[in-house]
Amino acid sequence: MIAARGLSKNYGRTVAVHDLSFEVLPGLVTGFLGPNGSGKSTTMRMIMGLDNPTAGIALVHGCRYAELRWPLREVGALLDAKAFHPGRSAYNHLRWLARTNDISIGRVEEVLDLVGLTAVAHQRAGKFSLGMGQRLGIAAALLGDPGVLLFDEPVNGLDPEGIRWVRHLLRDLAAEGRTVFVSSHLITEMSLTAHRLVVIGRGKLIDETTVEEFTAKNTANAVRVVTPVSRSLVDAVLRAGAKAIVEDGGVVVVKGMTSAEVGELSSRNSLTLHELVPLRASLEEAFMALTADAVEYHTKERSTPPTATLASEGAGIYEMERS
Amino acid sequence: MTYLQLAPVHGEPRRYGITHVVRAELVKLFTLRSTFWTLLVTFVGSLGATVLATSSAGHHNRGWYQGFDPTNQALSGLLLGVLAIGVLGVLAATGEYGTGTIRASLAAGPRRRLLLAGKVLVIAAVALAVSEALTFSCFWTGQAVLAHGGAPTASLSQPGVLRAVALSGAFLALLGLGGLGLGVIIRHTAGALSTYVGLTFLLPFLLQRIPSQPGRFTPVLLLANSVSAVAPQGPHVNAGVGFGLMALYSAAVLVFAGALLLRRDA
Repeated sequence: MIAARGLSKNYGRTVAVHDLSFEVLPGLVTGFLGPNGSGKSTTMRMIMGLDNPTAGIALVHGCRYAELRWPLREVGALLDAKAFHPGRSAYNHLRWLARTNDISIGRVEEVLDLVGLTAVAHQRAGKFSLGMGQRLGIAAALLGDPGVLLFDEPVNGLDPEGIRWVRHLLRDLAAEGRTVFVSSHLITEMSLTAHRLVVIGRGKLIDETTVEEFTAKNTANAVRVVTPVSRSLVDAVLRAGAKAIVEDGGVVVVKGMTSAEVGELSSRNSLTLHELVPLRASLEEAFMALTADAVEYHTKERSTPPTATLASEGAGIYEMERS
Repeated sequence: MTYLQLAPVHGEPRRYGITHVVRAELVKLFTLRSTFWTLLVTFVGSLGATVLATSSAGHHNRGWYQGFDPTNQALSGLLLGVLAIGVLGVLAATGEYGTGTIRASLAAGPRRRLLLAGKVLVIAAVALAVSEALTFSCFWTGQAVLAHGGAPTASLSQPGVLRAVALSGAFLALLGLGGLGLGVIIRHTAGALSTYVGLTFLLPFLLQRIPSQPGRFTPVLLLANSVSAVAPQGPHVNAGVGFGLMALYSAAVLVFAGALLLRRDA
């Protein structure tokens, strides 16, 4: 189990992480979700004792990282893809790591086999592709058979087969009762891998929840209707207690009703409909909307925050479901 | 399937310690080609320089050999060793910072003083073994060349000769530790190496014209004029004092390096 209590980190005047508190429980994959630059890596480095927090504390199994007796046997981490010397072979990299925690050489061969690097184990790791480097990092994390695992963007640089492998690995590790904490800036990836979510933006906690809850909360249904009598339809919808947004060309977006309910409503009121399409916010759009205020580096394209007005919300957040 | 914490094996220590760090550091050092290249350059360079220095001292008339110190002459080739042993020390630290290995090291062993202590022990042991082998090789090679050139020679049984040879090797090992400290402080190979070269080779030149001759307290002149000499050369200090000063320099650099290592984010 991992616990962050009021964790804060400033670099000069820049606040990287602010008053972050959360818990990561054993037996589950916990996704650490946030846009790039939101403080995920800094938080993970503080948990690992690599960066000193400005305030607060991070605990693993109830103690600071530096107090762990056999760190690699208790915590395994993949923090950056290339935390190894390019001149050393994968085998020798794992061999020195094993020496630090009195881990057998047999285990080195085991994890090399597990991540599929046995064939290239004696090549210089500097020749590895990003994906192979990532695999070596995962091998290093698993070396001590630890109960707590941290992975910072583990699927970066992996091919589709590798991504699938990592997803299964994370789930399997959690199923064995381990604490698995994995960061990503991709909500879709997390929705496939994680059970719980810790969501941050600009170094602050936005939500600590389950994937199901997060999905339910952030992907409200809406219906896109095209009708020549948009006024009447909006009146009917508002009377029924739902919300409606009128767009150009007789397009009405109805929120808070299913497409069946909208159809029945228009039938009761004898309103002609030309189109009736259920819309659903993708998890990705919901995540972007949720963290929009918290994204540090906006691209030009996203200069208008999508949550600013209802109309733009209708235009920006909803997309056709299986169009 | 349920994950179970490994039960401690009987007789196993309760916590990772200096022996584990040292073993890991040994693997790290000897699994890099740069280590072997550095050591090879140390040997070939120093022996080559020794041959040059001693052959130039042959075939002179009697008067030329007034005050001639064959030991010092043979050990003058060690100047190249000064450079190479510094590279060995610097790379042991900057090689980790440059590649991100430092984070793996601190994740595997988060007690930072222990990490530095492990590196100091390994670099000290390896540098000492190599440097002693080197100084004795230089001494014997030099004497052979001097004898060939009809110049006076020294033997280890003469007073002060063994001290000069053995202490010069230990002095080189201290320089290696200084390099390690600079590497931890500066964290970049190029920066740390420039600083090392500046302190060892450039500083004596800069201080040359100052009347009180503070240049004699710089590492290279301590080695060249005091520690590696049976009969002290030029502006000098006593050999023992010179060795002690060098030990102090390296210790100071390492203490500062340790303080920074504790404070800084990795």
